[in-house]
Amino acid sequence: MIQGSSTFIHVGQIHVDSAPHAISTVLGSCVAVCLYDTALGIGGMNHYLLPFWNGNGLQSPKFGNIAIPKLIESMIMKGSNPKNLQAKIFGGASLNMGISDAMMIGQKNILVAKEILREYNIVLVAEDVGGQNGRKIQFDLERGKVLLKYAQRSDMVKGGV
Amino acid sequence: MEKIKNDEIAFLSRKILELNKQLIESEKAKSRFLSLIASELNNPMTAILGMIPHLAPMGGDLRKEIFALVHEEALLLDSRIQNLVAASEIESGKIDITYALVDPKVLVKEAIEAFKYRINEKNITITVTNKLDKKIVSDPKKLYLIIKNVLGNACDYGLVDEVVHVDIFENKSEMIIAIKNQGKAPQVEYKPQIFTRFAEGPEGNHGLGLGLSVARELCERMDGGIDYTTDETSVTFIITLPLQSACADSDACGSNEFLFESFDDAIEL
Repeated sequence: MIQGSSTFIHVGQIHVDSAPHAISTVLGSCVAVCLYDTALGIGGMNHYLLPFWNGNGLQSPKFGNIAIPKLIESMIMKGSNPKNLQAKIFGGASLNMGISDAMMIGQKNILVAKEILREYNIVLVAEDVGGQNGRKIQFDLERGKVLLKYAQRSDMVKGGV
Repeated sequence: MEKIKNDEIAFLSRKILELNKQLIESEKAKSRFLSLIASELNNPMTAILGMIPHLAPMGGDLRKEIFALVHEEALLLDSRIQNLVAASEIESGKIDITYALVDPKVLVKEAIEAFKYRINEKNITITVTNKLDKKIVSDPKKLYLIIKNVLGNACDYGLVDEVVHVDIFENKSEMIIAIKNQGKAPQVEYKPQIFTRFAEGPEGNHGLGLGLSVARELCERMDGGIDYTTDETSVTFIITLPLQSACADSDACGSNEFLFESFDDAIEL
């Protein structure tokens, strides 16, 4: 049970907070990267829909290659040293909804997360990705742990992408 | 076979990631500039817009025209600043939707008021048909900015002495706002190009090309969308937004409901 409040983030949002608060979201083929600074006890989460921004539209964090560097920058702005950052990634399911499945969006979303984290030398300490189920996650910043539950279909219709 | 396919996807994705990195790098300066100046410009502008109406000269005063010109330019500048602020909020990932009960017709009226000088200059007539007989649950500020950008676009590209028609109606639990202007279709190869920031307009450059890209992002952020259709004489922009059930309290809507469930028996990672 978390002590503080829990902030819910949607696609294209980035949120950085500190203990005792929590950050939560719901994911389908989207991916959320959770970063935790073990020294400062602060953490951040993003939630992106597609792997790549390709020059069209705004550089919105609904794209992985924008959202992940921005999350890392937000953590650094709060005083984090990238060396102390640990990453966990969630989501990237293929929900058998046709197009997203054929384009392997979930897979590409996962891949982009791993590539960018590797580039920044951030260790990936946990992941629960792929599969066919949506997920709801809650990132507890008190303990730096992520609570995960698989979402039912009816939940996914209401929430995550 | 499956493995070969996956490996190839992985390889191609890495390639795209690499190429896009250069693209992001080259656009970085613009993004940074955007977020820096947005709030710096916004505060003085709010003050200016608040004061200007008090300076309106009485009837018969020759300075009336100068006043109108100043007011028009100030309103235009304000629209651009609002777009810069919105774009920088979207790009920073710090955009939040706040739901409230709104009357779309009132927002359309406000937007018309903001463009009244240009509408007069071009002698454009704006007609509004509202078939939605109720208030809707939406984010008033964001919806206003969407309408304003699309309407502003219609006034910019609409032909003089013609009609711009705004149609608000409900279709399959969605609210549709269709804004139609008489004029040529946008000269682009692919539709998404006109929703691209800093893109140049077909007849030279109107503003920063931020308006429609902001409108698109805001629509998507509210689970809706924006598109346009053209025929020989007109262009119609169609804004589609889901009609939320009446719970005008931000966090009680949509996806949050089931998150209030406990996380008992959750997996901990």
